[in-house]
Parts: sequence; C-alpha cells; structure tokens
Amino acid sequence: MLNRKYVASQRFICIATASLCLITASHSHAADKSDDADLSALALADQLPSQVQANSNWRMFAEAAVGSSHQRSGGSQDNQDNRGNQGNRRLSFDVQYDGSVATGWRAVFSDRLDIDSPAQGNALSNSARENGINTIKEAYISWAVQPNTMLDLGRINVRNGVALGYNPTDYFRSGAQRSVVSADPVSMRENRQGSIMLRAQSLWDGGSFTAIASPELASDRNTATFNPDVAATNSRSRYLFTLSQRVADGITPQVLLFKDAQHPVQWGLNVTALLNDSTVAYFEWSGGQNSSSLNQAYRAQNIPVIDDQQFRHHLASGVTYTTSSKISLTAELQYNGSGLDQSAWKNLPTQSLPLYGLYRGALQNSQESPTQRAAFFYGTWQDVGISHLDLSAMQRMDLDDQSRMTWCEVRYHLNQLEWALQWQHNGGSRFSQYGAAPRIDTVQASVRYFF
Amino acid sequence: MKSTITKISSVLVNARFTARVTALAAFAAFTLASAAWAAPTPQEILAASDVVRNPDYPFGLTNTLVEYRNGKQTDTSTLAVYSRADANSGQFRSLIRYIAPARDANKLILFSGKDLWFYDPSSKASIRMSPQQRLLGQASNGDVVTVNLAKDYQATSAVEEDTQDGDRQTKHCNKLSLSASTPDATYHHIEMWIEVGNNHPVKAKFFSESGKLLKTAYYRRYEKQLGIDRPTETVIIDGLDPSWVTVMRYSNLVKRDVPEIWLQRDYLPRFKPE
Repeated sequence: MLNRKYVASQRFICIATASLCLITASHSHAADKSDDADLSALALADQLPSQVQANSNWRMFAEAAVGSSHQRSGGSQDNQDNRGNQGNRRLSFDVQYDGSVATGWRAVFSDRLDIDSPAQGNALSNSARENGINTIKEAYISWAVQPNTMLDLGRINVRNGVALGYNPTDYFRSGAQRSVVSADPVSMRENRQGSIMLRAQSLWDGGSFTAIASPELASDRNTATFNPDVAATNSRSRYLFTLSQRVADGITPQVLLFKDAQHPVQWGLNVTALLNDSTVAYFEWSGGQNSSSLNQAYRAQNIPVIDDQQFRHHLASGVTYTTSSKISLTAELQYNGSGLDQSAWKNLPTQSLPLYGLYRGALQNSQESPTQRAAFFYGTWQDVGISHLDLSAMQRMDLDDQSRMTWCEVRYHLNQLEWALQWQHNGGSRFSQYGAAPRIDTVQASVRYFF
Repeated sequence: MKSTITKISSVLVNARFTARVTALAAFAAFTLASAAWAAPTPQEILAASDVVRNPDYPFGLTNTLVEYRNGKQTDTSTLAVYSRADANSGQFRSLIRYIAPARDANKLILFSGKDLWFYDPSSKASIRMSPQQRLLGQASNGDVVTVNLAKDYQATSAVEEDTQDGDRQTKHCNKLSLSASTPDATYHHIEMWIEVGNNHPVKAKFFSESGKLLKTAYYRRYEKQLGIDRPTETVIIDGLDPSWVTVMRYSNLVKRDVPEIWLQRDYLPRFKPE
C-alpha cells in the first residue's frame, strides 16, 4: 500500500512537472514569437527615410466617370437604347486654394467644373442645359481683426447642422445645388455654391457668435456654364445669427436665428451628445411661422392661394454607432412641417399634374422633402477585407408614401488615386417622392486623381 | 576650589549639551538626506516620463506616419499637431491637421477629452466622433504620443528589470503597471518600461479591459528637443495583428501658442496656422 501511494505520488509529481514545463515552454514560445514580431517591426522602422511632406495651400483633383441608368419611360432620348437604358459620361475638375496673403489676411477659392454627356437636367425649365456646369463653391477673403474676431467677405459656403441626411438649420442650402454628381449627402455638400455675404465671427473659450448678412444682388437666374448665377443664392436678403456656448462637459448647443426677406424669423437649435463610448446622438431643429411648401410654390408662380401660415417644425434626430470593426451606422428620423401630409400628397397628382410638377420643381431648389415624415439610414465600413477599401450605403425612406432611395458605393483609395463604383435605386409608386424619379437604377464607375 | 568645580561642572554641562545638540542636528540632517535620496514612487516615475515625452507648455510638431502590413509600406500620412494641456485636468487637448495624403489634406481632427470632432473643409461638415472612433486607425495612435499618462493612470507597482529598447540595446528600467484612473483613459491597463536614472520611456504595452494586448510602442531616436532629450520616433505594433506596424516620426517640435479658442468645433472651419 505504501509503495502504491509512493508510486502514485511520484506519478503525480512527474505529470505536474511535465505540465509546468509545457506551460513554461508555451509561454516562452509565445514570448519568443512576440519578440520576433517586435524585432521585425523595429527593423522596418530603421529603413524609414527622413523626408517630411511639406504643407500645400492647393488641393486639386480630376475625376472621370462612366455610367448607365435605367430610365422610366418618357425620359431623355440622348444615348438611350430600346430598353430605356441611358449611358452617361462625366469629367470633373476640382480646385481649392486656402492661403495667407498677408499677416492676418487669408484668401480662399474653391471651384469645380463638371462636364456631362448627356447634360444634367435643368430644374428651372424643360430646356436642355449646357454640358458644362462650373460651380464657384467659395471665393472670399478673411481678415483677423483680432486673434478671436474675424471678418469674411465674398462667396462663402456656409453650412449649419449636425444631422447627416436632412439639415433644417442649413438655411443657406436653398439654390446652392448647381451640379449633382452623386446622391451621397457628403458629395452634395461638397459640390454646392456658396452665397455672397459678409460674415463676422467672435470666439471665446467654449463658445462663439456669428453674424451673417447676405444681400439681394440679382433676380434673374442663369445656368450657363461659367455664369456665377448670383441670383441662385442672392435673389433675396438673408440674415443669420448663431450663438454656441458650452453648457456642460461635452455639450455645446448652438442656437440660430434666421431671417430672409420673404419669410418670418426662423429659430434653430443644434446639439450633440455622447451616449457612451461608441454612440453619438444628435438633434437638429428649426421652427417658425411659415406657409406650407406647396403654398410657397404657388406664390412663386403668382398663383393665388389661401394663406396657411402657422408655426411649423422641422427636425432631424438620430444616433451614430461605431463598432470596433470600423463600421459606423447612423439612423435618423426626419420631420418636415412644411410638407404635405399623407393624404394631401397622395391626392395632389390626381387633382392637378401641372401643380404636382410645379411643387416638385420648387422643392428641388429648396432641397426640402415633399412630405412630412422620413427616415434615413447610413453606414460606412472602412478597410473591408483589405486596407483602403471602403463600403458606404444609404437608404432614404419616405414614411408617408413608402417610396425609397437606396445608394451604395465601394471606394478603393491610395495616396493619389481613388476608384469608386456606385449603385442607386429609386423605388416606389408612380407619383411618390422617389418613384417619380426619371432614373430607376443607376450604376457609375469613377476614378479620381489628386495632383 | 568650589568655583573651579563649578566652572568644570558648567563646562561639562555645556559640553554634554553641545554634544546632544550636535547629535540631534546630525540625526536631523541624516533624516533629511535620507528623505531626499528615497526612491521615487511609481507615480512619480510615470510623471517624470511624461515630461520627457511632452513639454509642459503648448507646442506644435509634425508627425509623419508610415504604416506597414506584412513588411510592405501600405500607407503614409503627415499630420501637423498643435497641443496644449488643459488647465483643469492636465491632459493634452490637440488639434490635428492632415498635410498628406492629398485626398485628406487640410482635414482636421479635434481631440479634447471625449469631445472629438472631425472637420472636412471640402464639405464643411463638422462631425462629432465617439471615443470608439478614436480607437480606430491612426487616430488611436495619437494617444501614444500627446498624452499625460500620469493624469489618467495610476502606477500601482514598479519593478526593476532589464529590457531591450527600440535600438535593441539592453536598458535597465522600472517596469510600471498602470491602471486607468479616470473615465477619459483610453486603455484599461498599461505596462510601461522607463529607464532608471533618466526616466526615458523605453517601451509600453496597452491592454483592453479583457486583457487583450492592443498595441506595443517603442520610444526611440532620442534627440535634444526643447532643452532635453526626447524620443523623436515611436514604433507601434498592433497587438491583434503584429504584422501591422506604424512608425511615427516627429519633427519641427516647437514651443508655440495654441489658444483655447482653437480647441472648439466652431473654430475648425477657419483654422489656418501661420
């Protein structure tokens, strides 16, 4: 018995010792692997050359795109085959300059030229548009009166708002969209013309105040290629006052007051907050006395209407959630208090097709939705499978007529070159917001080169 | 006779008193000297290493990042960094401007605690980012550079050990174990090797809450910058994928004014340093 116990204990000791040796060897092997990885990394770093990239005041790129869209019946006959498919080609040039011209003085210039075949649609009339659209996005000078006080004069692309899909406080968006090359909201913000204005801004620790005066300068629109089309953005006087102030750690609300010559004062509010380390929430609201969008469209054509002015709300609120896998997802609810409710929108085309067309045309300029309720979803995924390959997708849903616009893009980028493939689908009933779009499906491939 | 005895007694008394006072003084001096030469605490070592990495006044520098995957260069960026320490928290707040590549030129990222903003001058979009987005890609590596670890982490232990530095030389270091002590701390736990004597950071390992190694950083190429020897290069090895290496090299380190008004969202559209 004693011998058995002794043998058993010896066996246990051997097994324990062997296990310990295995564990130690395993850790040692892992540590060796880790050391090897570190040494390899350090060897790479030893080879790094010393040059440092210099800053440039210029940013320029050229972009070429080809695509095809499946048209609804009755669309443009240019490049259209028997199946209703239309080919299109585009060449774009974009240049930006931002430099100091003297101590305290700064000059900013940003311009984009799009050459389309066939030409983009003309929102102002049914006549054909020129193939080239030049957009002066910005051209202004800035003077730092004091280190915390600046004056700007010229054409400035002012953009307000914290939401992603719909910006009720982006008061200067009206008339700003001259060329539409993509449904991506980022692209639409990039490629719009600024308004001519005088802007003053004062900043302090935790806050700022901005005052903008954008005068009436012209009344006749001109969509010729190189015409600055001042009337698009400066056909009426507009004033905007903005106040931001940090009220708590991480909370800096922005209050806006907007007035133009044709409408009563509009108030605005932007605020964002962190819900947790992965989630950002945002709320954007604008409100004030106003007529409905339909009434405004009628009055613009001198059609007599009954005044329906009342306090109307516009808001967009959502959350963006980011995962550790570089996926960001945004969900946003939108409300347009100037739009038509569900039944009025459904009845409009049956009451009068011309008025329906008039309404839709007016909204292209104001960039408002024809209806009241909508939802917006946006997702991005960086480095999908391989580095520098990004996937973006978006869906806009009209909750009043159940029509949808779906868009997605795959983009591969290197230091100076990018390739992108985009697809867009508009679906819905014949006279719905997206169902009425002339293109049902669009595919576009593009390549962009940065100089 | 009596007076002589009295004199002798008083001399003896004086001598004893003097001896006692002298002994007391010597003891006090020894105690003070001992206190002066007492080993620094782990937290003091950590704070001293922060001073080596970052000046304690506003500064600017250029950060050239080169990314390698499986031994091949896959990406390169150049950033201009403008940093100042927050008066209350002591933690750095930074404004980062992209110089290169061309597609990202003049884009800005503002790091101010958990108030993180991205600004694209092309679209005029100011987008608030979450701290999770800060951990993705190169934005996360800024934490390894301009951060005062002593403000967000508590050094719980210090053990002397030898380790290989970024030049494969053996350095005698204090190995510190750091635990996150504020909600703003990006990493749950850090191990840091700091050279004994000069408090030069040598190496650091950054861990998640689950204990996963997120990255290893080597601080190297020490050069005299703004008065003292500072590391001008950090080599970062991804913990999950060791073949992903980022080399950050700093240049143009200057003392400069970084006004408070720069470090807010509304200033981003007009940021244009000389």
